[in-house]
Formats: sequence, structure tokens, C-alpha cells
Amino acid sequence: MNLSWTQRRKLTGLLFVMPTVAFVTVFFIIPLIMTVYMSFHDWPLFGERAYTGLENYQELSKDRQYLKSLDFTFRYTALVTPPIFILGFILASLVRHNIPYIGIFRTIFFLPVVIGLGVSSLLWTWMLDDRIGIFNKILLDFHLVPKAQLFLGRPNTAMNVIILSVVWKTVGFTMILLLAGLQAIPDELYESAEVDGAGYFRKLFYITLPLMRRTIALALILSVIGSVLSFDQFYIMTRGGPRNSTISIVFWIFNNSFTYFKMGYGAAMSIVLLAILVALTGLQLYVLREKE
Amino acid sequence: MTSRKLILLVLAIVLVLGSLPASAQDEEINMTMWVRSIPFQTQALVDEWNASNDSQIELTVIPSAEFVTKMGAAIAAGEPPDIASIDLIYTPAFAAAGQLVDITDFVKELPYADTLTPAHMALGMYEGRNYAVPTGVDGSFIVYNIDLFEQAGLDPDNPPTTWDEMLDAMRAIDALGDEVYGYWFSMNCAGCNAFTFLPFIWASGGDVLSDDYAEATITSDPIVRDALAFYNTIWEEGLVPEGASIDNGSNFVSAFTGGNIGMAGMGNFAIPLFTNDHPDLNFDVFHIPGKEGGAASFGGGDVIAIASGSQHVEEAWRFIEWTMSDEAQIEIYAANGQIPVRLELVNNPYFEGDERQMTAASALAVGFTPYTTVYNDLFNDPNGPWLEMLQVAILDGDIDGAIELGQERFTQIMEG
Amino acid sequence: MAATSLRPNPSGHSQQELRRMRRRALLALRYVILLVLALLFLFPIAWSFINSIKLPSEALAVPPTYLPSEISLKNYEELTTYGKIGIAQHVYNSTVVALITVLGSIVLSTLGGYGFARFNFPGKNVLFVMVLSTLMIPFQSILIPLFVMIVQVDLHDTLFGLALVYITFQLPFGIFLMRNSFLAVPQEIEESALLDGCSSISILYRLMLRLVLPGIVTVAIYAFINSWNEFLAALIFMSDQDKFTLPVFLTTVRYGIWGDVNWGALQAGVIVSIIPSLAIFLALQRYYMDGLMGGAVKN
Repeated sequence: MNLSWTQRRKLTGLLFVMPTVAFVTVFFIIPLIMTVYMSFHDWPLFGERAYTGLENYQELSKDRQYLKSLDFTFRYTALVTPPIFILGFILASLVRHNIPYIGIFRTIFFLPVVIGLGVSSLLWTWMLDDRIGIFNKILLDFHLVPKAQLFLGRPNTAMNVIILSVVWKTVGFTMILLLAGLQAIPDELYESAEVDGAGYFRKLFYITLPLMRRTIALALILSVIGSVLSFDQFYIMTRGGPRNSTISIVFWIFNNSFTYFKMGYGAAMSIVLLAILVALTGLQLYVLREKE
Repeated sequence: MTSRKLILLVLAIVLVLGSLPASAQDEEINMTMWVRSIPFQTQALVDEWNASNDSQIELTVIPSAEFVTKMGAAIAAGEPPDIASIDLIYTPAFAAAGQLVDITDFVKELPYADTLTPAHMALGMYEGRNYAVPTGVDGSFIVYNIDLFEQAGLDPDNPPTTWDEMLDAMRAIDALGDEVYGYWFSMNCAGCNAFTFLPFIWASGGDVLSDDYAEATITSDPIVRDALAFYNTIWEEGLVPEGASIDNGSNFVSAFTGGNIGMAGMGNFAIPLFTNDHPDLNFDVFHIPGKEGGAASFGGGDVIAIASGSQHVEEAWRFIEWTMSDEAQIEIYAANGQIPVRLELVNNPYFEGDERQMTAASALAVGFTPYTTVYNDLFNDPNGPWLEMLQVAILDGDIDGAIELGQERFTQIMEG
Repeated sequence: MAATSLRPNPSGHSQQELRRMRRRALLALRYVILLVLALLFLFPIAWSFINSIKLPSEALAVPPTYLPSEISLKNYEELTTYGKIGIAQHVYNSTVVALITVLGSIVLSTLGGYGFARFNFPGKNVLFVMVLSTLMIPFQSILIPLFVMIVQVDLHDTLFGLALVYITFQLPFGIFLMRNSFLAVPQEIEESALLDGCSSISILYRLMLRLVLPGIVTVAIYAFINSWNEFLAALIFMSDQDKFTLPVFLTTVRYGIWGDVNWGALQAGVIVSIIPSLAIFLALQRYYMDGLMGGAVKN
């Protein structure tokens, strides 16, 4: 059979994308469908599984810890986002102009981003330790605290120090995104504003922020999604404690699926998580489209 | 990689079968065994077995906190070990899921079956059949520092027998200095407190679970509340170091070896460590008392079982049976300071004259272990309701809120 | 230079000079702030490194010492026997997983990116959207069925199985980036080769690869760093301690049999696990940033 040139091109193109499509189908589309399917079942890690309809979903509304985890995850997201943004913006402004050695500073601020969150969490757990940690050592040496602080052991401080560690780890990422946005603003706009006698804050609110709306929205969504999905820092730094006050949604899914072996229930929670994320992504698309 | 191994294995078997007259004795048996990272004499047992038997056992130590997850995953993957030394409280869950070999007929043949520690045998039963036998027994009790007792003017020969007496002793010891404390608990360690705090409730005639293990009795049994208040007092009065509130068990044993802690909940497993590594530590033990007296202990430790799917059930049992023999129990267990799993062997040459070992071993007579398939989710899970309830009640002082929360989450888990 | 312009002028500063002085002062202030921030950002890594070269006993000191009394590589030595089998095996595991992920991501993204950029075939748009939609749904939400599937095909506890999962999650970014890279190559270059009768695959191999190399490097860096650092999937898919990747290994051996923590060795482990991604990032920073900006532009 002789294929025409166009037909051959079509076939070749399909062959090129086939491996990718196969991968995405097997490791993404099928699991996605399976998540839905599993969520309607009592599906233990081993042993018999049984169809239970919507029971898993009904269970969710009664699961005190699940509701607590939802609340915690959103609270965490709301608390961690502003510092990342404010510091990210300050850093981006500081490294914006190409003054000598500025590349080194950009690199330094970005460095923690390439370290794994798991490893950085270990590092911070150790620095925050009450006996062997450097923070307590410094605070005690300078007489800033009367006795060693149990940073990760108290519900009110645990959240704060985890946020501190996450800001250190991720702010460089936001900085680079915002930097790209800042550098896209033509210098002439600022110059003419200066001629008109505009001060720093006028320029910030009338030029910088409005022109960076899309960049900010993008960085915001990425940061929010990352926070909603967080797991490593809570699993490693507090193991969900104290008083189970730092169990994120993904953490609770992990526990139910792989420690309590209730995979069907875990799947139902995943579906809810998925819905939240789809909503967030939808919001992102909406915010970004509006401008065009 | 696995499939290539499989092909090689098949090839090897075909070759062996083809060239030799099939003979079970000649075929080398290799078994795998898992144990959690608890300092029983498992490695010594396996070494001794491997040295004197044709069949060989490969021992893998799994971090305690991950044992259930790993075992579950291995079973789900169809690759469980032949032999598993399991924390006894998980046996009902594994047996109920059909993951262990029924060894009732083997157990019947044992002449000493009746003297095996009852708590472990009970936990190894499921629907009237045996699935596991004891391999490491461990009761809980209180250790106390004799030197500190004397310094505080307390009589070390008459240790406390009620909660109030314990509190008085703690206060007296705590008054000895800034760095001296009356007590130690690891309040961020779920399992540690099931082991050492539950017996306070039991010794007073109370429990957190009903007799048939069908429901939680946290709100209905007033003793639970009293016990939480007792521990809350210890915390509020600063009778424990502040770090105890966040200790996840890493200092459960070592805190007491510092010599500045008056009393602490402990288990048999720690005694050899104290006597060998800390010869200067002048300590003795007493039973965990009830509110107004009485005594109780958590029958902890490991049972040994054969996993479903093992190709070497007979040989695995031969090993298990040997671990309970006089030879192994006395020359490996007792010689290393570990309590024998057969109660009649507690009177052995190695333990004679050591009051502490005898008292500790006698704790097993009052030993008790909850029988529930959701033990891990209730008590041992660091995110479970047990630890959360303890922390809210003892550290935050919100006892009413804690028992209400505990009752609700216990019930939810038990109803599945 | 600064001295001359700053020298007090008996006749007073000119307007220009004043402005220049102000600008210089601001610049100096900017550097001071930058320097302080840079030190704060570097501190955790530096502190970890300092402790990793203390003597093991000093690394355990309570309270900690600021500077090592003696420099020692003992902690790194201890790492070789740390945990059950020592760190070498875990470095090997992480490396194998990362390399398979890098290789797989490069091959699939290049082929796919080329296909989506240069060919027309039925269903192209649907397939492209399908691939990109993976970006919106994070793997955390489909971990449970992935685990069930991986177990079913016996890839559980294998480095290869873990790498397959990682490749999948590198794909949307890789495809997107490579498609753009191919689109940026002028059509004419390819057309002349086509007229010469070269096959598509040989055009890709002989001609295009060189032109899209920066894109490939970017895909490779991301694949490496992400798989090297990943924690949750590695925690779930690996139950055999011998197969643990570095991050999982470091968290699980935190507690020894008596619950004691070997802090010095742990810090040495932290340093060992940071070095590869740090080195790759520093060496190929430009490509990494390009990827980030590329992603930003897309949205």
C-alpha cells in the first residue's frame, strides 16, 4: 500500500507523540479514572474489597480530623502566602537592576529552591531543636529567651517556624517569577512618572502592581497550589503534631491510605482535593484570561 | 529485573530436577524473616539457627514505626517474609485479614503450650485458632532511682503503691534541685503511653474500651478522667522536664539513665541495657499502681508467625519451635537478660538473685493487652486519637474536651 | 573617585553632586541589605556544613558549639555504615532513578515535542491538551491508584517503577518546552532537508537536535532536580530499605534502635544530598532560569 506524502507525515507525527500519549494514559488518565472508581469502594490495602456507593463520601463529613485538616491546610495557605509574596517582591526589587555582582545575589536567594523540601525540612527540624538547635543557642546566648523554646512542640509556634522554613525554601522561586514581571516593565514609564514627581508608593501602586497583574496572579496560583498540596514539611518536622494540629490534607490522605489501609476512603478524599485544585486552576484561567 | 530472576530461578529448578533425583533434604531452604527494631535477641537466635541448621534465615530489621506499613505493602505486593516477628497488638489485624498461617495443629503438640505467656497467646488467636506464639515478652512497670529516693528522704524499700504516694514521691525528689525531676513520660509518643499509662487505668479497675472491645468507654468510665487528671498534675507542677512534652520516644529509655529522673514508666527490654551500659545507675522497679492500690502491666512485645504464602511452613515452624526450647530460652534469652516466653523458665540460673528481674517478670502475671484489629489506628498511630487525647488533657489541661474528642474519634475508628 | 566628588566644596554642593551622592548612598544601602539577606539565606546550608565537619561527639553537644574545635570527616565516614547498608547504596538508588528519569524525559519530550510542533495529524489538539492537563492535576491526588497499579505489575520496590512515575510527571513541562523549542527553529531549515529526501527521524537526529539542545538541557535539569528531591512518592513506592532514595533514607534513619539521633552524620547526609542538585544548578543556571521564565511566559 502506498501512502501519500501527507498521509505519511500524519502517521509519522502520530508515531512521534505516541510514547508520550501512552505514558500519560497509563500513568495519569487510568489512575485518574481509578481514583473515582476506588472512591466508591471499601478498598483495604490487602483483603477483600467491596462496593459501598457513596459511603466514603458520607464518612468524610463526619471525620473530625479530615475537617480539621481542611481547615488547617487553608489556614496554612493563607498564612504562608503573604510572607512569600512580600519578601519575594522585596527581593525581586532589590535584584532587579543589573548592578555589579547582582547575579551572585540572585543565585544565593534562589539556592534553597533547588534543595529538596524533604531535606530542607530535616535541616530546619535540627536547627529548631530545643537542645541541639542553633536558634535556641543564639536566643539563649543573647538572653532573648529565659529558657529553650520548644518551637515545634507548641501549636502556636509550630506553624510559625514551619512557615519560616518554607519561606526560606520557596521565596526564591516567587522572586524569579516577579523579577521577570518587573523587568518587562519599560523604564521609560518610571522616568516619566518621576518627572511628574511621583514617589515610590505612587509608582508602586500606579505602575508596578497594575502592570504585573498577570505575573502576580500566576505566581500566586502556583504558590497557593503548592501550599494546598504540602506534605513533606509536616510529615518530617512535626509528624502532624502537636495535638494533630499540623496534619495537611495530603498528609491525612497518606495516613488513611497507607497506615490505616483504607485506600477507598483515601481515594474519596483525593477526589475532594482534586475538586479544590480544579477550582483553583479555573480561577487562575479566569484571572489570566480577563486581561486579554 | 524480577522477571529475569524468575526465569533464572525456573531454569535452575529445571536443571536441578533434571539432573538429580528429587530430594527434599538436599534442596537448600532459604527463608526470610522480618523483625521490628526492638532489642530482643532475634539476631542471636537467627545466628545460632543458621550456624547449626541446613536451612538458612535472612533477618531484616524494619524500623518499628514503619513495620505495619511495610508489612502491609509487602503482603499487598505478594512478597511477605516467611517468618515475621510482629508486635503482638497487630496480630489480630493480620490474622483477620487472612495473612497468617493457621498453626493450631502445631501448637497443640507443644508440651508446654499452657505456660506460654497468656497475653501473647490470646493476641495470637483469631476465631478460636492459633496464628502466633510469643517470641519476645515485655511487661511495663515503673523504674525508680534509689539514690534520689534516699536523698529525698523516701524509703527505697517501700516504693509508692497509690497515685497520691507517687505524686508525693515525685514532689520530694523534684525539690532536690533545678535539674532533678520526679518523673518522666514521653508525651509525644503514642505507643510509649499505651504501654506505661494505660496500666494506671487498668490497675484502678477502669478501661478505655469495653470488655468485648466493641465500644470506647472514655467518657463513661470515670477512672479515665482521674488518670488524665493525675498526669496533668504531674505536668502542671513541673515534675517532669519540659522536653518530655515533645519527646517522640527517642528519650523514652535514655531519659532515666541521666540519673536526674526519680521515676519513669519502663519495660523489661530496658533492664539489660541499664545493667550493662549504666552500671552506676542504682535502680529498682515496682508495679504500676492503681489510684488506691492494685497493680497492672501492659503485656507487650512480639509474637512470631508464619506469613500466608510461605513455601516453607514446616521448616519455619521447626525454627519457631526451636526458639521456644529450653536451650534457646535459657542460653539465649535469659543469658542476655531477656524474659523467657515460658513462664516456668523465669526461675533460671541467670535470673536467680536479681530481684529486679523477678519483679519485672512478675509484672507479666498482671499483664494485659487490648485485643482489637484497629489497635494501631487507636493507640499507636502518632496521629491517632489516643495521643491527641493525652496531649490535650495532660499538656493543655482541657480534660473534658480531651475525653469527648477521644470518645468521638475512638468510636469512629472502631465502627470502621 | 568617590573621594574627589565627596570632598566638601567651600562653595557648597552643586545640585548634581548632591543627587549623585544620594544615589551612591542608596546603592551602598542596597548592597548592605543584599549582603545581610544573602548571609541569612546561606546560613542554614553553611551551618549544616559546619556541623558536618565537627567531630561526631561535638556535633551532639548540648548546647551546640558555634565553630568546630577540630575539623573532621568522621561524620562522612560514619555515613558509609549509617542505617542498614550505608549511604553509598542510597546515593546509587537516587542516581539511578534520576538518570532513568532524565533519559526518559529527554527522549519522550523530544519526540513528542517534535511531533506536536511540526506535524499535523487527527486528534493532535485533543492529545496536546490531554498531555498538558496533567499539569493541573498534581500527582498527590492520584497516588493511591498509582500505587495499586505499580504493585500489580510488580514494579513496586524497583527503582525503575519509581522512575516511570517521575517521567510521567515531567512530561507536560517537557513536552511544552520542547514543542516551543522546535517551533522556534525556522521551518526553512527543515524543508531543505526534507527535499533532499531525509527521513523525519534522521532530520530530527542529524539536524534538529543540535538546534534544540538548550531546551533538552533544561528538560534534563528539571528532571534531575525534581526526581532527586522527590519525597512522597518515594516514601510510598519503596518499602524495601535497600531501595530507599536519599531523602527517604535520611528521614527514616533519624531514629536509631534506642531512638537516638546521630546529628553529625545526618548533617553530613544533608550535605551529600544537597551537593548534586546544587552543582547542576550552579553549572547550568541559565537553562534552569530559562525553563522557569518559559513556564511563566506560557501562562
